[in-house]
Amino acid sequence: MIEAKDVSLRYPDGTTALTNISLRIEPGEIVYITGPSGSGKTSFLKLLMGIEYPSSGSLQVLGQTMSKDQAAVIRQLRMQMGPVFQEFKLIKGRTALENVVMGMRFLGLPTKQIYEDACIALAKVGLEHKSLAYVENLSWGETQRVAIARAIARKPALILADEPTGNLDVENALNIMDLLTSLKDEKTAIIITTHATHLIDSSTEGKLLQMETGSICWERLGSV
Amino acid sequence: MTNLLHNIGYFFREAKTIVRLNLLSNMVSLISTGLIFFILAMVVAGWWISIDVIEVIQGEAEINVYFDESLNAADLQDLIKGIGSIEGVREVRLVDEKEAYARMEEILGEEARVLEFFEDNPFNPFIEVKIHLEQITSILEKLTSTQDVAYVRDNQEILERLRSLSRVLEFSGYLAAVAVGISTLVIVSHMIRLEIYNNREQINTLRLLGAPESFIGLPFLIVGILLTLSGGLVAASMSHLVLNQIYAQMAGPLPFIPLPPFAAFARKLAALIILLSIGLGLTGSLVGLSSEKGN
Repeated sequence: MIEAKDVSLRYPDGTTALTNISLRIEPGEIVYITGPSGSGKTSFLKLLMGIEYPSSGSLQVLGQTMSKDQAAVIRQLRMQMGPVFQEFKLIKGRTALENVVMGMRFLGLPTKQIYEDACIALAKVGLEHKSLAYVENLSWGETQRVAIARAIARKPALILADEPTGNLDVENALNIMDLLTSLKDEKTAIIITTHATHLIDSSTEGKLLQMETGSICWERLGSV
Repeated sequence: MTNLLHNIGYFFREAKTIVRLNLLSNMVSLISTGLIFFILAMVVAGWWISIDVIEVIQGEAEINVYFDESLNAADLQDLIKGIGSIEGVREVRLVDEKEAYARMEEILGEEARVLEFFEDNPFNPFIEVKIHLEQITSILEKLTSTQDVAYVRDNQEILERLRSLSRVLEFSGYLAAVAVGISTLVIVSHMIRLEIYNNREQINTLRLLGAPESFIGLPFLIVGILLTLSGGLVAASMSHLVLNQIYAQMAGPLPFIPLPPFAAFARKLAALIILLSIGLGLTGSLVGLSSEKGN
């Protein structure tokens, strides 16, 4: 599903964001990427989404080589991804349901199915009663959950969650982590970046990657 | 394509939301577009009326051919027939002495008393030749070389001026229409770019979710067309009212100016402005969208 070989990322201003990242992520895996701010977590997710391209090394996501000359194909590849952005990126002036539906309209599904799946996704995140509320009227935690609903309603092969617990209190953060891990199935890989290592204990299932200054410094397999 | 058709209702709802969320800015855009289309409508109306007037005047363009008075009736008929067959001649008619006298009386009005000093009718019969103005030179060449033609009064200088005026009017009409058309295009494309800028976060999010450019762009295209169409409708209504006033004003002091019939003229103008507003809205929106692609 994801295969990175010696991937490095250098920005045009000369800043090195990632150095020689090599990893393999299979369908059904949950991967937590932790590390302090500036360690390269978000940069790595940007590579996976095709927002940035590797400066060197090779990266394959969902069978597609991620390189600048493949930009048009990568754009289509994003339809198989369910991103949860750090700053949510919900569309203002629209309801929670409209936001979820908007992320699915171009997937080629029948309208009825789009609305059914969107309602199911909102129910999964516990927001079925707020589906007709405008997103600007929702609380921080609710907005976060709408963003997750938008990602999962698309039934993606790859869920990418960038700091999904940022700015949440411990209880809400744990709820979000539980929610994300509950989405695990044999086809979907889930990648979660977080600097809140206290939310990941030994009972947490999945792979843990610790990043520092653009490199993976250690990784643990199986139960974290 | 099927995907776009399935979402057609969504695109219109989204266009409505885009307008609603930036209502003030869109109202200003609508008023600006309405005003610029109104200016275009007035320029086109002035142009069309001028051309119509010139055409009517051109229709009156005529040459008087004086002939050898010793010609018998049969030869005169042959001459008239010969002139009628010259290319560019629309109508040929014999004006006899009596008609020539009556015409002069009409022209002189109260001063016609001066004609009473003549013992005999001082006017000669002539052949009145109505022509297509653009062919005046070749017609004159042929007439002067025709046997039995004694003298040709051509009013060429006046007719040439008329022809130049017609050319200038036509050219300035095209120029004004093109200038206003380009301005509209620039304003509309800028308006769309502004809409895109105002909604850049939404566009960016949809791109990150993998939405195709056509899916992202269509609501903006609809907004552009709806705004310019509304502007066109406002302009068509305003120009209808203004033209109605102008017709009413001109009917009094300037009744001799042959204006085209109002109802048909206003309908034609409204149809043109509405079609142009759709066309320019579509083009301007496409220009705006393509210039913002990849930003």
